[in-house]
Amino acid sequence: MTVVLVILVLILAGAAAALFWRLRQAEAAKSQLAAEHQQAEVELKQLQSSQAQVIHTTKLASLGQMVAGVAHELNTPLGFVKSNVEVVGDLLDDYRKLVKDYDVAVQLCQQPVDLMFSADKESLDKLVKHVEESRRRLFEARRAVEKSPLLNEAKELLADSRDGITQLASLVQNLKGFARVDRDGMDLMDVNEGVESALMIAAHQLRDRIQVVRKLEQQVPRVRGMPSQLNQVFLNLITNAAQAMEDEGTLTVTTRSSESGVEIAFADTGCGIPDDVLPKIFDPFFTTKAPGEGTGLGLSIVHKIVKSHGGSIKVRTTPNRGSEFTVMLPSEAARPTLH
Amino acid sequence: MLGQDFEMPAADPNRGPLRVLFIDDEARILRALKALFRDLEVYFTTEPREAPALALKHNVDVVVCDQRMPEMLGVDVLREIREQHPRAMRILLTGYSDLKAVLGSVNEGEVYRFVNKPWINADLRALVLEAGEIARESPAIGDQLSPNEQNTARSQVGVLVIEDDTTVQQRLREILQPHYQVRFASTAERALQVLEQHETGVVISETATNHGADLTLMLKALKQYHPHIATVVITERANAQTVIELINEGQVYRMLIKPVRMGSCRLSVDSALGRYWKLKQQPKAVRRYGVTPSEETVRAQTKLPNSLLSRIRSLPARLFGVGGVRI
Ligand SMILES: Nc1ncnc2c1ncn2[C@@H]1O[C@H](COP(=O)(O)OP(=O)(O)OP(=O)(O)O)[C@@H](O)[C@H]1O
Ligand SMILES: [Mg+2]
Repeated sequence: MTVVLVILVLILAGAAAALFWRLRQAEAAKSQLAAEHQQAEVELKQLQSSQAQVIHTTKLASLGQMVAGVAHELNTPLGFVKSNVEVVGDLLDDYRKLVKDYDVAVQLCQQPVDLMFSADKESLDKLVKHVEESRRRLFEARRAVEKSPLLNEAKELLADSRDGITQLASLVQNLKGFARVDRDGMDLMDVNEGVESALMIAAHQLRDRIQVVRKLEQQVPRVRGMPSQLNQVFLNLITNAAQAMEDEGTLTVTTRSSESGVEIAFADTGCGIPDDVLPKIFDPFFTTKAPGEGTGLGLSIVHKIVKSHGGSIKVRTTPNRGSEFTVMLPSEAARPTLH
Repeated sequence: MLGQDFEMPAADPNRGPLRVLFIDDEARILRALKALFRDLEVYFTTEPREAPALALKHNVDVVVCDQRMPEMLGVDVLREIREQHPRAMRILLTGYSDLKAVLGSVNEGEVYRFVNKPWINADLRALVLEAGEIARESPAIGDQLSPNEQNTARSQVGVLVIEDDTTVQQRLREILQPHYQVRFASTAERALQVLEQHETGVVISETATNHGADLTLMLKALKQYHPHIATVVITERANAQTVIELINEGQVYRMLIKPVRMGSCRLSVDSALGRYWKLKQQPKAVRRYGVTPSEETVRAQTKLPNSLLSRIRSLPARLFGVGGVRI
């Protein structure tokens, strides 16, 4: 009886011990797992924050690029307008001198008239000489005033300046439109305007190298969205297109209404995208550019913004022929109205 | 009889109004400059490719060129003009300068000055007139030495490296020691000692020490008082504005970005030494490399330890070299 009991107890104890051991093991495993999990979380956090960092620096980098382009666009008209305004002042001073010479000559002509009344024969001859001489001088001074190119030059410089100022005004207008700093947030937006301001910002990348063809549908339905973000989408697609065309090329920008909303297409005649690359282009950090030249974030930002606007994006490409990126956005009109 | 073989006697190129060539893709900029310089003999083109031929044909004294043009960068235009018509002084006029452009303008274009748009009329006029006067009275010189000259130059003239990073020092030692008399200094103080004791033709320097001490002020002062010494700046922290200032007020001869590469480093030091040697034989050319410090720099220089500035000023001028005449 006792023996059985002892054996039973022993078995039980053994089982308990085994159980206990298993439990300990499981616990150890669990805590290891937890530690690993924590580690992973820390790493994830680090990764996320470094990604945020990278995105932030990219934004800064593309901001820097934008500033570079815009600074050049602004400084050129500023350069000649500022110079012209000063030079016109100098030209007018020069002109005033000519007019003064003319005045002097006129006065010279009037003197003999006063003298004539009290003149004898000899001084009359002198007077005739004087009159002849002062006529000649008057004639010359008059010609100098008439022939002077100064006023025409001044007028030309002013015409250039007026153009320059108009150009500056529209640049500033476009910049405001691009950043929409005055009212950021959801808004009804005309995509044609957005496309124009993005093209203006990218002007220094396009310049005379790339021909831009605009096929913008007038009266294209408005979309509801964040203008500054959508403009960023357009700018990134334009930038990529410009970079895909090494020498010369054509960028065709199309806007049109579709069943579900609005389509904005950017077609380039650039290098195209090979089949094995195509699936990766929207991946963050994927780039085929040389290290340091591309972050590979352009299209992932595009994708994120378009998605958050309830839209989608489509790519058609032929290697060595070109690519077309089409952004599809729901329009205000096509949206089911809630009542 | 008077016909075929009769040639006009070549006009004295140093007489008459200055001849200046302006290059910009924006015609309205050119018209503005034409009006601003209406008392000079001015030439214009919106076609950068035509510029070198025009410069040569009219034997211009000064070239003022835009940087960003669709067909060609200003730096490249200036490089070609430097090769084909070296006596013209080169000025880059630009609306925005990225680092690459600025570096190119030092290393390839060897520009005299960098001017930002929008410019200040009075300053630009003064600059162009000064450059024109220099072009007329100061001969252009090359920097290529014959093997013989090179040997003498290397044996007589030292190269000073101002750098406090020991790994960079080590690297430069490997690259330069076999060919030149190289001396190292990790502080401005030590650098001056070397300059006082040894004839030095080339100074290689960072823009700041690892401890944050600014070296650009000293480089500018050195150039101001000893323009014949060629400076090669090697830096890691390049920023376009610093480089522009170093060109305008420090007439840096070459600018390299770290990490230092053997090939470009050797090339730069070789031609820097060549430049020094040529200047030594042709001291009149030195005005081409002169600088006038900006007001800001002068103000900053007054904050330098007093002894430093006066020591820079009184460094021996070895311009006429061995047994030569003293100025
Ligand atoms: N229009 C295009 N034509 C050809 N290839 C393209 C085009 N747009 C994008 N790509 C390809 O997709 C890759 C990823 O583009 P993405 O805009 O995300 O980054 P990136 O352009 O390389 O870098 P960054 O935008 O920072 O300059 C590019 O490197 C390129 O290979
Ligand atoms: Mg991109």
